[in-house]
Amino acid sequence: MPPIIQLQQVSYIYNADSEHPVYALRDVTLTVTAGEYVVILGHNGSGKSTLAKHLNGLLAPTAGNVLVKEWNTKESNHLRAIRSTVGMVFQTPDNQIVATIVEEDVAFGPENLGIPREEMLKRVDWSLEQVNMSEFRHRAPHLLSGGQKQRICIAGVLAMQPDVLVLDESTAMLDPMGRQEVLEVAQRLNREQGTTVVAITHFMQEAIAADRVIVMAEGRIVLEGTPRELFRQVDRLRELHLDIPPATEIALALHERFPDFPADILAVEELVEAVNLYPTRRTSTDLEQVTRYGQEKQQAKPQLATYNALITMHHLVHDYMRGTPLQVRALHDVNLEIRQGEIVGVIGHTGSGKSTAIQHMNALLRPHGGNVTVLTHDIANKNLDVRELRRRVGLVFQFPEAQLFERYVGDDIAYGPRNLKLSREEIRERVRRAMAAVGLGFDEFKDRMTFSLSGGQMRRVALAGVLALEPEILVLDEPTAGLDPEGRAQLMEHILALHRAGTTMVMISHDMDELAKICDRIYVLADGRTVLEGTPGTIFAQADYLRSLGLGIPVATQIMRTLAAQGIDVTPAPEDAAAIYTTQQAIAALTQWLAREQSQRNEVRNGRI
Amino acid sequence: MEEFDLLRNVTIGQYIPTGSAIHRLDPRAKILAATFLILAISFNTSIIANLLFLLVTLVLAKLSRIEFRYILRGLLLGLPILIFIFVMQFLFLGGVEPAGKIYWEWGWFRLTRYGLQTMVISLIRIVSFIFLTSLVTMTATTTELTHGVERILQPFRRFGVPAHELALILTIALRFVPTLAEEAERILKAQASRRADVSQRRIWRPDKAAKAYLPLIVPLFLGAFRRAEDLVYAMEARCYVSGEGRSKFVLLKSSWVDYTVIIGAFLFMLLMALYPWPAVKEIFSGLGL
Repeated sequence: MPPIIQLQQVSYIYNADSEHPVYALRDVTLTVTAGEYVVILGHNGSGKSTLAKHLNGLLAPTAGNVLVKEWNTKESNHLRAIRSTVGMVFQTPDNQIVATIVEEDVAFGPENLGIPREEMLKRVDWSLEQVNMSEFRHRAPHLLSGGQKQRICIAGVLAMQPDVLVLDESTAMLDPMGRQEVLEVAQRLNREQGTTVVAITHFMQEAIAADRVIVMAEGRIVLEGTPRELFRQVDRLRELHLDIPPATEIALALHERFPDFPADILAVEELVEAVNLYPTRRTSTDLEQVTRYGQEKQQAKPQLATYNALITMHHLVHDYMRGTPLQVRALHDVNLEIRQGEIVGVIGHTGSGKSTAIQHMNALLRPHGGNVTVLTHDIANKNLDVRELRRRVGLVFQFPEAQLFERYVGDDIAYGPRNLKLSREEIRERVRRAMAAVGLGFDEFKDRMTFSLSGGQMRRVALAGVLALEPEILVLDEPTAGLDPEGRAQLMEHILALHRAGTTMVMISHDMDELAKICDRIYVLADGRTVLEGTPGTIFAQADYLRSLGLGIPVATQIMRTLAAQGIDVTPAPEDAAAIYTTQQAIAALTQWLAREQSQRNEVRNGRI
Repeated sequence: MEEFDLLRNVTIGQYIPTGSAIHRLDPRAKILAATFLILAISFNTSIIANLLFLLVTLVLAKLSRIEFRYILRGLLLGLPILIFIFVMQFLFLGGVEPAGKIYWEWGWFRLTRYGLQTMVISLIRIVSFIFLTSLVTMTATTTELTHGVERILQPFRRFGVPAHELALILTIALRFVPTLAEEAERILKAQASRRADVSQRRIWRPDKAAKAYLPLIVPLFLGAFRRAEDLVYAMEARCYVSGEGRSKFVLLKSSWVDYTVIIGAFLFMLLMALYPWPAVKEIFSGLGL
């Protein structure tokens, strides 16, 4: 297969003329072959997005050359040909849709190329079909979900009939469903149409399906190879702050205990197969030790002594655009209870009403039916002191860094306490405490420019801005969405520390593995109603129902279910297997099971049974 | 009660599908007819003609099958402007000569007959104006409107009118209205969660009001700039070129109904402009005022 894109010793410098030039790319050489599926990994600031913008001439290299087919991207007379050869989809779907009707947006590229109308109609039909969005062609884009919008953007690129599809972090802002939708489309195009795909991402999981994975750090290519080759170098990946897919993590842990258990496992199916085929040639195992190891890892959460409900919702109803012809009912019947000291997860598909529901918790929205009591206050009460309530119940919105406004970090965090009309010293003290709670040093960060921080740091500043009010209850709407693995891990650590310090928490998330790890209880919402409530174990045991609601289950649960379906009961009682939902639990259970199997067979061989 | 339902009273620009005859018109016919009607009333100073015009607007509103009180909401938005104009006219029109009969005089302030007449007429005019424009936007989708504008301006391209660019700017602006409105709402709510006092609108202290709104305005602008930058990349990646060499996806078709409407509106304009409508002072004297 011929090369379709070639990067020859490409360097790129931002602000080359200023005093602080930024080297975004250093001497990158890379060849993409026609028909390949390449994934470029790297944490934020590794230079991967700068690289992407070189692939279709949006940026021209400071040094070196980029060739698309035979055209050099530095020559502007080839740009049209280059950009219709290399189509690009960006991170935020909202910011790349031009028209107010889906099909017209898809037609934007062909219109620019001057394609005759007859041909254009065919292309629009075909492109929408490819991304399964034909039935939405007359809709307004702002009414679609993130995944749907992103698929429209892909269709808009496909209508130009490109040879290469570049996805520049196109899945970063999407929920798992949307991410799945976009990936399926890309993989199908690669397989069926022979489209070359270059996907830039920080989700390790997306690299598994690639032909080739390239890891970037500090503007250079630091690792390259097939997914399997790459995931063998776990230590190196950890060093580069990349996360490891859960199935690989479990396999590695088992490999540590049982050296003949394969370590290079990528997908859930492979792990299940390895467990199935696990050879039992080893002669002796210290069963006791293995069991103890398992028990150590499987630490249960302490039972709560108090039963003090801080928030209750009974048959909550809420309408949007009430009193207009566009009125829609967002919440039909939401019931929930948040008890003191808990972390409660709220899950549900996009549009299930979870964001609407939590906005009742600090009276941003008022109920249109049913009742909501928060810290003994009735939220429907018109004379409620909402500002006092909002001090006691802190609400952190999705992508909260988008709400920062002060030039300096310290000032932004001080905004809340200042509104409380506290003394200067008290404000300073609160800012210091809030910053400490999110791991930002007061002296180091208070005078830093807010907008020069990394995405993860800005997110923590925004969280500190709410913490500075010292709320009793913290409500978080997808706190880790859009962050890279490193930023995600750091933020979760601070959230857990806050919880241990006694803050009651409510958290919306799409990341089931994350919720599985930390939640005491989980509520499932669907179409504006509470449909399930329970501990993570009982919730994730209903995997089929969750799936029918468009929700996923933790990888560990997935593994246990697949094993059980093949007749392998890892735990003594099958019900226990369904209650396994964290990676640690899965490792513990599998370790015990493998050891038990082994010792049994050893005994058989030794003729004791 | 609903602190944050920002867009509830903005009825201008909100498409209300009822499938009425007015909805089915070609957008070009709608825009042209509305333009003629507005021109028709803009230069007519007769109170009879203005009332007739208000009647026509009400009939059109009825035909559109959109709930009446919903269109009225658009007036709420125009209310500050209406009040401002009214107050200004009330204070200063008295000084204009000829004044006609003087009803009341106090220092430099006079309440005169002609002043009063002008006030009534401009009130009717602004009300029908808001009605008519809301009616156009409520019965046509934003895409229909922009395509309409583009096609109407197309013949003027040779005189240097950038028809396509104007339409594209309009489209993008309209495309981002809901996005930015949502963002504004989210920012307001987030700052309220940090105890910002958004309910107090200190219009009499613009300096303080501006300061109170900084936490809204700064992030909103930063966000808009970020979006604009992204959009430029996205459009370039899709080979955007302006002007020549483009083809068109949307075809507009008009039928005899559309032509009838345009001609009807045009004739109505002529009627308003050329018919010797009784001037205001004659009616007032006829009523013995």
